[in-house]
Amino acid sequence: MAQIQERGSTHVYKVNKISKEEMENMVTRCVYEEAPFCNAACPLKLDTRAMLKAAAAGDFKKALQLYEKAATFPLIVSAGCEAPCEQKCRLCECGEGLAIREVEAAVARFGQAQRLGGIFRTKKKKTVAVLGSGLFALFLAGELEKKAYPITVFCEQPDLENFLRCGTEFLDQEAFGLELKRLKGKDISFVFSCSITADFLAEKRVAFDVLCISEAVFARLLPSAAFVPELQYCEEEKLVTGSSAGVMDAAFQAKKAALTVDRLAQNLDPRNMRGQEDPFESRLYTDLSAAKELARIPAQTGGYTKEEAVKEAGRCIQCHCDECMKSCAYLKHYKKYPGLLSREIFNNTQIIMGDHQLNKPMNACTLCGQCTAVCPNGFDMAHVCATARRNMVSTDKMPLAPHEFALMDMIFSNGDAFLARPQPGVEKCKYVFFPGCQAVAVAPETVKAAYLDLCERLEGGVALMLGCCGAICDWAGRYEMQAGTREFLLQEFSKLGDPVIIAGCPTCKKELAESVGGEIIGIWDVLEEIGLPEDAHGLDRPAALHDACGARGDAPTQEAIRDLARKLGVTLVETEYSGDRAPCCGYGGLTAYANPEVAAEITQKALERSDAPFLSYCMACRDRFARQGRESRHILELVYGTDAGAPPDISEKRYNRLNLKKELLSELWHEETAEMKLDYTLEYTDEARQLMDGRMILTDDVIAVLNYFRETGEAILDDETGLMIARKRVGNATFWVKFTQPEPDHYLVHRAYSHRMNVVRRDG
Amino acid sequence: MAAERNYYTIDPEGKLQCVKCGVKLIKGKAKFMYLDNGFPVELPVCPVCGFVYVPEELALGKVLSVEKALEDK
Ligand SMILES: [Zn+2]
Repeated sequence: MAQIQERGSTHVYKVNKISKEEMENMVTRCVYEEAPFCNAACPLKLDTRAMLKAAAAGDFKKALQLYEKAATFPLIVSAGCEAPCEQKCRLCECGEGLAIREVEAAVARFGQAQRLGGIFRTKKKKTVAVLGSGLFALFLAGELEKKAYPITVFCEQPDLENFLRCGTEFLDQEAFGLELKRLKGKDISFVFSCSITADFLAEKRVAFDVLCISEAVFARLLPSAAFVPELQYCEEEKLVTGSSAGVMDAAFQAKKAALTVDRLAQNLDPRNMRGQEDPFESRLYTDLSAAKELARIPAQTGGYTKEEAVKEAGRCIQCHCDECMKSCAYLKHYKKYPGLLSREIFNNTQIIMGDHQLNKPMNACTLCGQCTAVCPNGFDMAHVCATARRNMVSTDKMPLAPHEFALMDMIFSNGDAFLARPQPGVEKCKYVFFPGCQAVAVAPETVKAAYLDLCERLEGGVALMLGCCGAICDWAGRYEMQAGTREFLLQEFSKLGDPVIIAGCPTCKKELAESVGGEIIGIWDVLEEIGLPEDAHGLDRPAALHDACGARGDAPTQEAIRDLARKLGVTLVETEYSGDRAPCCGYGGLTAYANPEVAAEITQKALERSDAPFLSYCMACRDRFARQGRESRHILELVYGTDAGAPPDISEKRYNRLNLKKELLSELWHEETAEMKLDYTLEYTDEARQLMDGRMILTDDVIAVLNYFRETGEAILDDETGLMIARKRVGNATFWVKFTQPEPDHYLVHRAYSHRMNVVRRDG
Repeated sequence: MAAERNYYTIDPEGKLQCVKCGVKLIKGKAKFMYLDNGFPVELPVCPVCGFVYVPEELALGKVLSVEKALEDK
C-alpha cells in the first residue's frame, strides 16, 4: 500500500518562499489599521473616531482626554478650528457630514479637564525657553509642558491674563476663564514684563538648552533670517520658531516645533524620525450601508447641549473596514485582520527552530478566495496561506498529520479507485467526463446517470475518467505530489487522445485548467447546449443557491447554473453572500481535515444565509451541508432525478468509489473485477461506526488489524470489559480495535482508535 | 544515581491478559517515538511476547497532545 513519508530530520531549502517585499506589498492592501478619514485630515492627529465614540456614550471626561491629547487648549482650538475633518467625513456622501467641531466644542466645555503633570511627574533634564506671546507661543509652551520639559516663558505682558488674551480675542468670557484656569494648572514658569531685545535673546541662548521664539519676535529681531517650515527651525540662528496664520496653523506649527525641540534636546538631527505629520488621504474603506441618521443636529448659538452633542456624536458610523471579518468565519475565528494574520503566518515560515504556532491558522484557511472578492483592495489570504504551506513543506517543517488522510484519499482515488476508459465502441472520443472524486464518493448513482446521458446525447463519444484532479495535494502544499499527479493525469488524458474535458465539479475544472490545460468545459455548459434530460425536475419549494468557491470569478459557470436551475423550475433564493462573494462550505483547502472545529464554524456560517434547502453544484458542498443536517441537493441530482440521500461516512465514500468503478467496468466494458472477499464475518456496532468516522479510521484499517490478529494471534483481553484488543501499524499510524468474537470467524467491532506515535519495548 | 524519568506510567493491576501467551500483563518499560523524539514510559506489557498496550484514553489524551506539540516544532 502506498505511504507518504513522514518528515524526518531538519533541513532547510529556500524555495517556495514569499519574499519580504511581496509580503509587505500584500500587508499594505489590508486597510484595517488605516486611519479614519477625519483623523487623517486633522493636522493635530486627533483620534476623532475614538473621541466621538466616547462622546456618543456620554463619557465627556474620556472624550476630553482624547481631545486634549491633540489640542492642549481645547476651547481655543475648537473655537478657531477650520475642521478639515468635516469635509472628509464619509457621511457627507449620503447626507450631512458629522458636526465634529461642534461636538469638540461641547466636549471642551462639558468634559472635566484632566490634570496632567502634578508633583510626581519627573521632568526632563534639558531646559527650554519660549520668548514672546501669541497662539504659537502659547500652544508650543503647552506641547512642551506635555513632553515634560522644564519650560520658561518670557513675555512682554504684565501677567498671565494678558499673555493668554494675545491671539485669543475671539473667546467668550466663559471659555477664556476655563482656558486661563487650564493654563494656570500647567507646569510652566512665566517671566512677565520682559523687554525682548537682541541682547535679551543672546543672554537666554546661553542660559537654556533649546530656545524658541514667537513669530513676532523672530520677525522683529531677525528680519533677514529664514527658517525651514517643515521643522519650524532656523538653522543658522539655532532657533525654533513659526509664522502661523490662524488657530489651526498655530496649533499644527506648535506640534511640529515641539517635535523639533525634542530632537534638538537629544542632540539629534530634527530632520529624521518625524513620522506622518501632514494631513493625508486615508486608504480606509467604509461600508456606508450602515449610515442611517443622515441629518445634522442643528446647533444653537451657544453650541450643543450635552444631549445634543451625544446625539450628534452618535451619528458617527465609526469608520472601519471589516468586510472580510464580517464574511469569513475563519478570520472571525482567529480574530485577526488579514494584514496582521498574514504577517504572523509569514514569520511562522521563517522559524527554523522552535514552535510553529501559526501552523494551525495557516492550515485552517479554506483557500476559497472569498476575502479577495469582498476586500476593497483584493487582499489574498488564500495566496498567503497556500504559499506558506508550500514553503513549510519545502523546509520539511509541515506536519503530515493534518493532511495525511486527505492525501491518502487522493492516492486511493488515483490508484485503486481510478478508472479511465473510452466510451464502449468508440476508439477515440471527442470528450472525457471527469466527475471529480467527491461526486463519485457522495453520489455514485448521479455520476453514473450523468455519464450514461452524456454518452447517449453527445456526438463523438465520451470517455470516462474517475479520479482526483490534484486539488487535494495542491491545497496541502505538497507541490511534488502535485507535479506527480499532473504527470499522471497528462498521461491518462493523452492515452484517451486528449479529448475535451467535461468537468463535473468547478474545482476540478479550475484545477485541471491550471495543471493539464487543454479544452475544459463544465457539464453545466454541456447541459445548457443539449438541454435537460426528459425526466429532470426541480424542487417543489424555493432553494438557496450556494456558489462553489471553484467557480469564483467564473461568471459563465455561475450563470449557467442559475439558468439550469430556472429551466428545472427551481425558485432560487439569492443570499447576501452569493456569486463571487460566496463563502466556502468548509471543505476547501482541506480545512475539514486539518481543523474540523473551524470547518464546522465555516459550514455553519454558510448555512446561516438562508433557512431554505441549499442547492449547490459541487458535491463537497452538498455533502458538508447534508452532514450539518440541512436539506442539501446537488444540481445534477435534480437534472438526473437521483437522490444521493444521507451523507456517506469516510469508509462508505471509499466503498462508493470502488463500487462504481466495479459496476461500470462490468456493465459498460464487461470487465469483471476480482472480488476482495474477507474469509470471515466482520460487523460494527453503531458506536464503532460513529467513532471511526470522527476519528478518520477506515474499515480498511480495521481489516488490517483483524487480518494481523488472525495471522499472529496477538491481542489483549480486558477482563473488566470482556473486549479483545488488537493492533497493527498501518502507514504512519497504529490502529487499535476493540472487538468481541461471538463465534469463530465472526468479529463484532465495538471501538477503534489510533495514534501516530510509534511505541516499542525498551530494555533496562 | 538519579531515578529514571518516565513520562507516563500505567499499571495493568492484573486486569489485562495476553491472549497469545495466556499470561497477565505487567507494568513494563516502553518507549514512544515520534518525529525524531523518544519518551520513556511504563505501560502494560506482556512479559513473554512483549506486546505493549496503549490504552484508548492514553492514545486520545496525552499521546495526542504530545503528537500535536511535536508536529508544530
Ligand atoms: Zn504475550
